[in-house]
Amino acid sequence: MEMTRATLTMQSARRGRVDPHRSMRAYDADADLMLLHFGPQHPSTHGVFRMDLHLDGEIIVKATPYVGYLHRAVEKLCERLTYVQQTPVVDKNDYVSPMTNEQALTMAFEKLLGVEVPRRARWMRTLFAELQRIASHLLWLGTFALDLGGALGGGSTLFLHCFRERELILDLFEEVTGARFHYNTHLIGGNRHDLPAGFAAKVHSALAIIESRLAEYEVLSLDNGIFKKRSHGVGVLDGELALELGVTGPNLRASGVDHDLRRDAPYGAYDELAVNVVTAQGGDCFARTQVRFGEMRESIRLARAAIDGMPEGPICGHKPIRQPGQAKATSGQVYVGIETPRGELGTFVVGGGDTPTCPYRLKIRPPSLHALSALPYILPGATVSDAVAILGSLDPIMGEADR
Amino acid sequence: MSALGHGALYGAVLIAVMLSTVAVGIWFERKFAGRMQSRLGPTIVGPMGLLQPLADVVKLLQKEDIIPAGADRALFNLAPVLATIFSLGVAAVLPLSPHMIAADLDIGVVYMLAVGGLMVVPTFMAGWASNNKFALLGGMRAVAQSISYGVPLVLAVLVPVILSGSLSLAGIVRWQSEHHWFALWPVIPGLPAFALYFMAMLAEANRIPFDIPEAESELVAGVTTEYTGAKFTLFYLAEYVHTLVGSAIGAALFFGGWDGPFGPGLHWMVAKTLALFVVVYWVRWTLLRLRSDQLMELCWKWLTPIGVALVLIAAAWVQFAPQGAL
Amino acid sequence: MGHINDTLRALWTTLRTAFRPTSTVQFPAVVRPRGERYRVSFALPDDENGEMACIGCLTCERICPSQVIKVKPGVKRESPVTGKKRAYTDDFVIDLSACIQCELCVQVCNNDAIVMVREAEQPMFEREDLVLGFARLRKNATDRTRSWGHGTMLQESQEPAKVEKKAPAAKPAPAPAPAPAAASEPAKTEPAKTEPAKTEPAPEPAKEAAPAAVEPT
Repeated sequence: MEMTRATLTMQSARRGRVDPHRSMRAYDADADLMLLHFGPQHPSTHGVFRMDLHLDGEIIVKATPYVGYLHRAVEKLCERLTYVQQTPVVDKNDYVSPMTNEQALTMAFEKLLGVEVPRRARWMRTLFAELQRIASHLLWLGTFALDLGGALGGGSTLFLHCFRERELILDLFEEVTGARFHYNTHLIGGNRHDLPAGFAAKVHSALAIIESRLAEYEVLSLDNGIFKKRSHGVGVLDGELALELGVTGPNLRASGVDHDLRRDAPYGAYDELAVNVVTAQGGDCFARTQVRFGEMRESIRLARAAIDGMPEGPICGHKPIRQPGQAKATSGQVYVGIETPRGELGTFVVGGGDTPTCPYRLKIRPPSLHALSALPYILPGATVSDAVAILGSLDPIMGEADR
Repeated sequence: MSALGHGALYGAVLIAVMLSTVAVGIWFERKFAGRMQSRLGPTIVGPMGLLQPLADVVKLLQKEDIIPAGADRALFNLAPVLATIFSLGVAAVLPLSPHMIAADLDIGVVYMLAVGGLMVVPTFMAGWASNNKFALLGGMRAVAQSISYGVPLVLAVLVPVILSGSLSLAGIVRWQSEHHWFALWPVIPGLPAFALYFMAMLAEANRIPFDIPEAESELVAGVTTEYTGAKFTLFYLAEYVHTLVGSAIGAALFFGGWDGPFGPGLHWMVAKTLALFVVVYWVRWTLLRLRSDQLMELCWKWLTPIGVALVLIAAAWVQFAPQGAL
Repeated sequence: MGHINDTLRALWTTLRTAFRPTSTVQFPAVVRPRGERYRVSFALPDDENGEMACIGCLTCERICPSQVIKVKPGVKRESPVTGKKRAYTDDFVIDLSACIQCELCVQVCNNDAIVMVREAEQPMFEREDLVLGFARLRKNATDRTRSWGHGTMLQESQEPAKVEKKAPAAKPAPAPAPAPAAASEPAKTEPAKTEPAKTEPAPEPAKEAAPAAVEPT
């Protein structure tokens, strides 16, 4: 069925849901609604993001998100760069978890070019992805606390504690790749940097520290009365709406839908490492927090399993990068989706065109954009304070939503 | 020197002392907050960062003074001045030591509540006059919060008044030094009254967890969004002074003020005030903030009924307690 | 009552943190040590004969995704050291303000002529001062600490395993899997030639004593 605006409106009305496209003229003129531009310059919009909120006092009546403030024409740029040059550019999409960006891109190119990845490289990629998931969720927890508690108060305490632990993971990545943040360590066929000697011990000690601190974070967040009050029943996203909008990742699992690409469509080492998928009922901010905490614990376990079971072997199954034009594709189109900390990050590549060394079209499916599309449905009825909490709990990264 | 001259000199000295205490308080808060967040705090400006507050004030004062277009100039300029005046005004009745009270009013408590309660006026003036929707939202929330939390504040303060039988702050402290501190005995209603006072004081001073009017993550800077330079400095200062004075009043009403072992003195009052001041910061840098309707619910559904109950218990105690226990 | 308990526990947690050692240090009085592979600026080192290794092949300029490298190759002439004719480079400029530190230029250099260094450049007042000129890049080769990665080593470590000719305990490859990247031996990572200023010994891919490979199932 063609998804026109009218169709969506009818469907929402039938389900008794908010109609996000309802015209402002439909509201009573005497209601004296106030239009508040929330962003793009705002301490809590998780990047440059704007929402037009129509407020009745403090209650939101209609919310319209505007994206595109961080659009950097990445997909167009990637049409001009050769296959081997693209990895450092997509690092900057979801700038909070670059490892998974690189992984998604290189997996798509590998599928397009028919390159197989050796086992050690797959396990290394999985290890990096799980460590990156922990780091990303730690950053999320810190910024969520900032949204709830303010930069000049309790929120910043939890924020700095989370970053202190995140530094441990960034140090691990620095040990391997040489960069703390934008690594460029994936290449077509495997990885560029091998694990140094003594890495396993460092991983274990870092994970032990993080695991012990998770209990402290719970005291300051999940178990805290004020946090529970601010997040219970706030921003309920029901599973059906989430599926309709294409929301994936922890946001979907918190709405009760048991779907995780690592288990349902395994890639990397996930066919050998079983993933326990964490779900929660409720779909509110508290459920999303619970899911992310659970995922952090699960990622710690998976990272330990990955480093303990790391196989020997080459780290790349294709030739190393020697020339910019060494990878050519004259035809083919592939889509690869992986489970990033935000949801399903998909890369769609069309090979061919005038320059076979560059992709004809590269399209990135960002999970954050779909999460943001839920805002017009779940914000009405909430207060301005709740809007900040809901936006924070969806964990949007504008770099990937806008590309 | 005439009484007026004496009062003016005393007031000037007191204000100077309070502002320097605020300066040290800012330094201590930043160091303490830094340690709680596993970082160092200021270290570069001056030894151990002691001159940091001075650097902050100089930086703030030299910033450009901007008045937004469409702002109500008179109210906009008046708000920070009034905020400073009202917050410093409460200090007039602080019982610092048996011989050092700027104005030993017989109705010191009433004066304190009245002038402290007036703080809502400059806050709303700032919110209204800024011609900014964020400031307006902050101002509305501030009015609701300050007026609502005035009720548990008054009820909590009534408990030591009833127990000691005096409306003068110095009188309450004298009674405590002769008998016992109210926070320690009678435990009910003394300690819950102190807890109530503490929470109401946090709410009146717009501190986390009750800092909805200046919720930085939601409302940019709340009522002070459009303020720059010297006016912002005055608001900043007024908030600190309000908290400091609130801690001092709490120390005086519930912890015996200048009373202490080895003789009464200013040092005890200062020590207790600073201890409470530190607790205020400790709470600020740990807890998240409550949403405005949750704040209102806490005030009206919990604190006010508890406050009324405590007043009744205090009155019953005075009436029925055996002479020795009082 | 539960709220009071929660609040007290949260307060206790922060107070406990206040008495732990801090996790930050006062920069620049105390500088955190960086990892051996940390990469932030560039250098143009010498080759084993003591003259500049760069031959002006322009591969780094072509691979750079941000196009910040500008190389001016020079005429081929006789080397004063070896007497043989070799290619030279006249000028080499990197615009550090636009560099994304992706290490691709280091990756593709077959002569190990461009390497990254571990110390960041000083902050400058003018954006133009962040453009690293030839002199600066040559000076960095002696002034700064090299990062671990250099082109030949990286490329060698990324080679899919081939049948090793001179492996010490070469086992015949067990039934190979259909995948072209079937591993039959751990990849060699020792580079063929030794670099004059190598910082640490070549890394081993976390292999234990036995060089025997395990065929992936």
